[in-house]
Amino acid sequence: MLDQLFDGYTRSILIFTGIHAVAAYSFFLPFKTGQVSLGQAGFLAVGAYAAGIMTQKFGLPFPVAMLIGGLITGAIGVGVGFPALRIKGIYLLLLTLAFAEIVQGVVMTWEYTGGAEGFQGIPYNAYTLDYVYGALVVLIVFFARLERSSLGRAMDSIHEDETAAEVMGVNVVGVKLLAFSLGAFIAGLAGALFAHHVTYVDSITFNILVGVNILMFVVVGGSSTYWGPLLGAAFLSLLPEFLRMLREWLELLPVLWWDSFPMNRVYGFVYEFLDFENEKRLIAYGIILIVMMIVRPDGILTRDGLRRFRFGRKADHA
Amino acid sequence: MIYQQLINGIMLGASYSLVAIGYTLIFGVLNLLYFAHGEVFMVGAFVGLYVVILANANIYVALVGAMIACGALGMLAVFAAVRPVSKDYPLAQLISSIGVTIVLQNMAIYIFGGQQVAFPETIKQELYRIGPVTISSVQIFILVVALMLMVFLWLFIERSKMGRAIRATAENHETAALLGVNVNRVVLVTFIIASSIAGVAGVLDGLKNSNVSPFMGLEVAVKGLVVMLLGGLGNVTGAMIAGLLLGMVEILSAAYIGTTERDFVTFAILILILLYRPSGLFGTRTIEER
Repeated sequence: MLDQLFDGYTRSILIFTGIHAVAAYSFFLPFKTGQVSLGQAGFLAVGAYAAGIMTQKFGLPFPVAMLIGGLITGAIGVGVGFPALRIKGIYLLLLTLAFAEIVQGVVMTWEYTGGAEGFQGIPYNAYTLDYVYGALVVLIVFFARLERSSLGRAMDSIHEDETAAEVMGVNVVGVKLLAFSLGAFIAGLAGALFAHHVTYVDSITFNILVGVNILMFVVVGGSSTYWGPLLGAAFLSLLPEFLRMLREWLELLPVLWWDSFPMNRVYGFVYEFLDFENEKRLIAYGIILIVMMIVRPDGILTRDGLRRFRFGRKADHA
Repeated sequence: MIYQQLINGIMLGASYSLVAIGYTLIFGVLNLLYFAHGEVFMVGAFVGLYVVILANANIYVALVGAMIACGALGMLAVFAAVRPVSKDYPLAQLISSIGVTIVLQNMAIYIFGGQQVAFPETIKQELYRIGPVTISSVQIFILVVALMLMVFLWLFIERSKMGRAIRATAENHETAALLGVNVNRVVLVTFIIASSIAGVAGVLDGLKNSNVSPFMGLEVAVKGLVVMLLGGLGNVTGAMIAGLLLGMVEILSAAYIGTTERDFVTFAILILILLYRPSGLFGTRTIEER
């Protein structure tokens, strides 16, 4: 449906951006209760492998497989979420990191799905674009509803002050566990979507840098509002493409503009500089990240920033 | 056989220790998970390599060169990516250090290429037999340098005035500042020391494995984190001992359980420690709200 609108290159960028956004929401949900996870890559891997096994080995249709993959990941999320209840901050960060590393190790040694050679021949899903953006719409509606629901407010209160929330009668254990495992469920869906788009995954596909990236999407986009993960994922996924495009735009300038003395030097310099091969682009990306964190440490979007946009309406969380 | 494995374990553990000391020092004074530390280690290895190749210098010059270069890198990181980021946002600090990681790694790939480079033989390889174990001259050199560095560092932290300031800052930022400690300077010095130690560790690692690559930083970074936690966050002596312990555990599990299971053991230990002894094997100051 959607895929006829775009050429192949744009489509693939849109798909990856969308999957990044779904993954970012999987981080955002536990984060709403103050749980910072570096291990979402592990959940992505579980979802990818579980759904891949369902379609490839059992021949199930993709939507069913995706759901099963998500549910399995969610169940594992409960298993990880329980011990995670006891610890927070840097300890939780390290626990989830260890989880991701262990998943990576299991995947690498499990012969059933190809072991170190990777899981090959996962059926290609031609409608990934529709599924991804469908999932995103559902997620955004879900988070918009959550924002105003008692559950959402319970999550925010736990984020602010766990003890105070408990005193006020919030079921802290239940809410945190629910947030963590639902986050895992969403990550499982993202993993399933990813696996059926690229058709090949291995242990390196889901290394810890993937988890780090997911964390970055949310923090850069803004972790205090549910539009943040979407914006961050879009911004950071499209940034390298944008940096690539800059040079092509430069080539579009009429020759007359830069052919004489002072301008040709400037043009030459800028052109050389924008010769972004992969490493150079990533260097620029890293520098932009650092600058972003200096300028806007709480992300591009903040609750207060959003509130300023809708001055017509009364802010709903005052 | 087991003695031989223990020697190998200490060799592996020595580089874990040196990296983890840096992590734990930085965590102590800033409460920051300084992700780029593994890449500093990698940069140190490359600086050592190029000092040896280009200047035809011996290994001591390479070690000093890596130390100075990485110290400068640490200083640069403080001014460019640590100090400007607000301390009220721990995640922002984490991400800016990840930015440093990305920049350093890709610069290394850009400058040195994405392949492994062989580290030239700078020390004459001789084998000595001591009772049941065989130990090479390279191994002795690495061990002596690593242990000397650790002793010096321990003396510095425990005995010198700056060391006391570092400990005071790690204990409590505000109190230290009130008592006249220049916290900003302490942070800067801590970064310089931590980075230069990581640089030396990188050269030693290159020497041990006879090769360096731009991707060597990540694994060390993760293992360094495990060691930091084992030793207790902010506990320098703990990091030294825990590094050696983890090295031995890894080598022994690789020898008696299997190479692929080695990392399982490491992370299983990490999870157990997190759940049952979050203050590390040797205890640490506080755990609340970290």
